[in-house]
Amino acid sequence: MKKIVIPCSGIGKAFGTVAREATYRLADLEHSDRFKTICLPLLMSDDEESKQSVMKSDVYTIDGCPKKCASALVKHAGGIPVMEIVVPKVLAANKEHKPETVLEIGNGGRLLADDIVKIILSHGGNE
Amino acid sequence: MMSFKPKVGLISCSGEACSGGNISRAATLEVLHHLRPNETVTICLPLFLAGDDAERDFAKNFPTITIDGCNKFCAAKGTAKYSSEPAVRMNVEEYSGDSCTDSEERWKILKSSDLVADIAQSIASHVDKLREDWK
Repeated sequence: MKKIVIPCSGIGKAFGTVAREATYRLADLEHSDRFKTICLPLLMSDDEESKQSVMKSDVYTIDGCPKKCASALVKHAGGIPVMEIVVPKVLAANKEHKPETVLEIGNGGRLLADDIVKIILSHGGNE
Repeated sequence: MMSFKPKVGLISCSGEACSGGNISRAATLEVLHHLRPNETVTICLPLFLAGDDAERDFAKNFPTITIDGCNKFCAAKGTAKYSSEPAVRMNVEEYSGDSCTDSEERWKILKSSDLVADIAQSIASHVDKLREDWK
């Protein structure tokens, strides 16, 4: 069964774009054999298939701010994330990987997304 | 005397799992940052559930346009359920067809694409109309 990675749908900050970038690296570009994503708004809409998915799968959430919407919505739907990543905390560990803007995260943002991908893979996402 | 014109709230579904979500997000950002930066505001859709009362009051305080990527209308339904009925419900599929079946392309959406530009212009037109009609 594929693991699920869910970014926060954040639209106001560059960290939300970084969360999406990391998600697409895992689910579309580099590790689509092991990962998939689902729409967070669909989970918010109480979509039964999405709820079943997060209850039965290993779920990694990637949030762009401390409000942790992705994590909160997974829990609201009855799931328990195996890992809850908050992008600013990842940046704090590697401060030169700073994203530029929500529209263009730049090289720093792409490196930050790399950091997130590595964290998830090293946490068991490689299995 | 100059009459008060409210800012217009824009809420994109930003759905991660289909191209329509990325198109809605890109078009919304184009309006927020370039076409109507002084006339619009936004909020992350999931904050209606994960946030507090101040965030849930968003669509009560601003006439709001929801921009959905598919006909599941998650943004419109979520806004109506947790905040208030949106003034305008837009659906990217009316411009692009069924964009959610084309998931291989979802990560390639560019803010400069013609489709995104067309939708952004439509959003901006709705913004202008809502402000003109405001009483």
